[in-house]
Amino acid sequence: MKSRTIKVDYLARVEGEGKLYVKIKDNTVADVRFSVFEPPRFFEALLRGRRFTEAPDITARICGICPIAYQMSSSQAMESVCGVTVSGPLRDLRRLIYCGEWIESHALHIYMLHAPDFLGYEDAITMAKDHPDVVTQGLKLKKIGNELMVLLGGREIHSVNPRVGGFYKVPTKEDILRFVEPLQWALEASLETVRFTSTLSFPEFERDYEFVSLRHPDEYPITEGRIVSNKGIDISTDQFLDTFEEIHVPHSTSLQAKVKERDDYLAGPMARYCNNFDRLPEVAQKAAKEAGLSEVCTNPFKSIIVRSVETVFACHEALRIVKAYKAPDKPYVEVLPKAGVGHGCTEAPRGLLYHRYEIDDAGIIKDARIIPPTSQNQKAMEVDLRQFVQKNLDLTDEKLTWQCEQVIRNYDPCISCSCHFLKLDIKRD
Amino acid sequence: MHESSLLKDLLSKVKTIAEENGADKVIGVKVKLGALAQISPDHLREHFDIAVAGTVAEGARLEVEVLQDNFDPHAQDIILDSVEVAEG
Repeated sequence: MKSRTIKVDYLARVEGEGKLYVKIKDNTVADVRFSVFEPPRFFEALLRGRRFTEAPDITARICGICPIAYQMSSSQAMESVCGVTVSGPLRDLRRLIYCGEWIESHALHIYMLHAPDFLGYEDAITMAKDHPDVVTQGLKLKKIGNELMVLLGGREIHSVNPRVGGFYKVPTKEDILRFVEPLQWALEASLETVRFTSTLSFPEFERDYEFVSLRHPDEYPITEGRIVSNKGIDISTDQFLDTFEEIHVPHSTSLQAKVKERDDYLAGPMARYCNNFDRLPEVAQKAAKEAGLSEVCTNPFKSIIVRSVETVFACHEALRIVKAYKAPDKPYVEVLPKAGVGHGCTEAPRGLLYHRYEIDDAGIIKDARIIPPTSQNQKAMEVDLRQFVQKNLDLTDEKLTWQCEQVIRNYDPCISCSCHFLKLDIKRD
Repeated sequence: MHESSLLKDLLSKVKTIAEENGADKVIGVKVKLGALAQISPDHLREHFDIAVAGTVAEGARLEVEVLQDNFDPHAQDIILDSVEVAEG
């Protein structure tokens, strides 16, 4: 057989992993399918057979932006099996490192991923040419969150210091007090962020969501609470699987979730905000009101303002903890293994993160179940897209693609790392 | 974890090249792996064999050249070097 060799020199790249298929028939949206092609990573399977103390380190690897969430949910689950409660300064330190994660994650999404959408830029780098001060402020804010993670976690990404029962090592009062000044700046910068995001122009779109989040008797929820919704859910974390179910849809490798016998629900900043406005400190409530937000926000595009209000809260809360810090006597509470099943649920920046583990008497993990916020929100995203496309059928395909990406980015999904990831396939009959 | 989408991109480029050259069969693909690329030749080969099924490159021979220079600007990249198509 004759053949010919063609010289190419082409850089292969990882393709966008989100795809949206929309079928429009007689000017009505007939079908919407949001597919994610991320191959499964089998974390739940590889946890089986490992020691219960390894779960925080292994699960932290699930996400480079919110590793703390995985460490906290898994630690909480293990401590609940073994009958241990972490309280006092250790609990405060957990909340503090989690605040660091909220600050870095929210700043990243607001400034680097979401704001360019509203201002019409491809990405933050292009945006920086016209708005250098905005991008610089976002980066500086993010850095303070990262530095808190370094202080308590040992490094910015995939922290190594948190453990079941607390930390391997805790900071001195002096180390902690160094953060007073940067956090004071961060609080001001986050208030400025609320003002900035409130000036953006938002597409008109409202939806009657079921907001699901944690709720704590006296705190804005981060590390613990009951699971509640604005449509009547009020359960303890061990009832999660009685109330919610994961569904596998043929068009996506990512699982979706719904309220059993009901429908899609929304987790994340808007849900926390709506269910816990009364738990926000006054400074955050005031900033929200001045930005024109009421106590419930049902326009998902405005999640950028809600995320900014939560950043105000995280800076304020971090500052409170830093100022009141007294080093604990011991960096961790001893946790001895006990056979049983434990549940952990905390508020990752993107929403509720549920872990369930079964361990034996020797502390070996027999079974693991992890339900992250992005998969919980997947179905809600699909419903948003369906309703949004129906309302905007007259847009060109190009404009529609841009706005559909924005609809998805409202959720701050893990997949939005690649800035323009969406392949939109519109069939108009 | 990104292998399948990487291969998807690579093969869509191979398909375009075959079309542009009026070829309906690709018999060989040469890929250069940067010294710091995240995939090993064997691993790439495994994914390649699965990904080519049912495409214009089904059954094609994969040649992998592993580059050695850690300081090459493309040390982390995977480069599609050439495509061999059947003629006539």
